[in-house]
Amino acid sequence: MLKELIEMIAKALVDYPEQVEVSELEGEQTSVIELRVAKEDLGKVIGKQGRTARAMRTILSAASTKIRKRAVLEIIE
Amino acid sequence: MSTMEIEGKSVEEAIETACQRLDLTADQLEIEIVSQGSSGIFGIGTRQAKILVSPKESGDDTPLAEAREILETILAYIQVPTTVQATWAEDRIKLDISSNGSGLLIGKRGQTLQSLQFIVNKIYNRRASKKAHIVVDTENYRERRRKALTEVALNLGNRAKKSGKPAASSPLSSYDRRIIHLALKDDRKVRTKSKGDGALRKVVVFPVRKEHAGGKQTTSRNS
Repeated sequence: MLKELIEMIAKALVDYPEQVEVSELEGEQTSVIELRVAKEDLGKVIGKQGRTARAMRTILSAASTKIRKRAVLEIIE
Repeated sequence: MSTMEIEGKSVEEAIETACQRLDLTADQLEIEIVSQGSSGIFGIGTRQAKILVSPKESGDDTPLAEAREILETILAYIQVPTTVQATWAEDRIKLDISSNGSGLLIGKRGQTLQSLQFIVNKIYNRRASKKAHIVVDTENYRERRRKALTEVALNLGNRAKKSGKPAASSPLSSYDRRIIHLALKDDRKVRTKSKGDGALRKVVVFPVRKEHAGGKQTTSRNS
C-alpha cells in the first residue's frame, strides 16, 4: 500500500515512468521504501531544496500512521 | 470542430480506434453511433459498426475533474474515508476534502495538507495544457488558520508598540508569513520583515517611532 502510493506519485512526476522502481523493506515497526528513478528524473522527485521529496515523505507518514506503522522514504541515487 | 467517421468490428472496437487516433480517452469524446454492426452468420452478412466521433468541447469542468482525480488517487492510499469537491475560486481550482474530522489530512501546522497541495499542483501542471493554481482544503482549515494567524499578527504588533522593541513570530512557512505581513500592512505604527533561513524563517514586527512614522512607504516588505 505504502509502496504503491510512492510508486504512483513518482510515476506521475517523472519523464520516464517506466524506469520508476520502488521496493519495500518491511521491518517490525518501520518500513523502508526505496525509490529509484532514471538519472534524468532524480531532480524531479527531489525538487527545489528537497521540497518534492519532503512532501512525499509527509504524505507517506500520513498514510502510515493510519496503519500504525512508520515508513521512511529513501531516494536511491 | 472536426468530426471523424470510424468503423470497426464492434462499437467498442471503433471507440477504441477513435481514442488511439485522437489520443483521448473515451469520456473526452462525443460519440454518435451510426450503425451497431453485426457479426453475421459464418461471416456472411457481416456489417461493420460505424460511429461518428469528435473531441468534446473542453468546458471549465475538465480541469476541475482532472485536479480532483489526481487528489482522489493519492487519497485512496491513505486509509481514511474522503470525498473531494472541486470548484473554481476565481482563477484557482479549489479542492475541498470532506473526511472524518480526525485532522490526519491536515497534519502538524497543516504540513500534510500543504504537501498534498504541493504534489497535486506538480502533477496537474505537468500534464495540463493550461496551468492552474490548485488550493487543497479540508474542514475549512485555510480560513481557520488565516484567522488564527491574524490574531497572532495583531498581538505581535501590540507587543512591539508597547515595548518599543521588535517582536518576532515563531518560524512560519511562506504562506503563513504572508498572512502576518498582510494583517499588519495598514498599521502605520509598525513595519514587518521576514528574517532567518529556510524552515526557520520568521516574521519580525518592528515598532515605528513617531518621528519616522511618515516614512512608511519606503519600508521593505519582503515575504
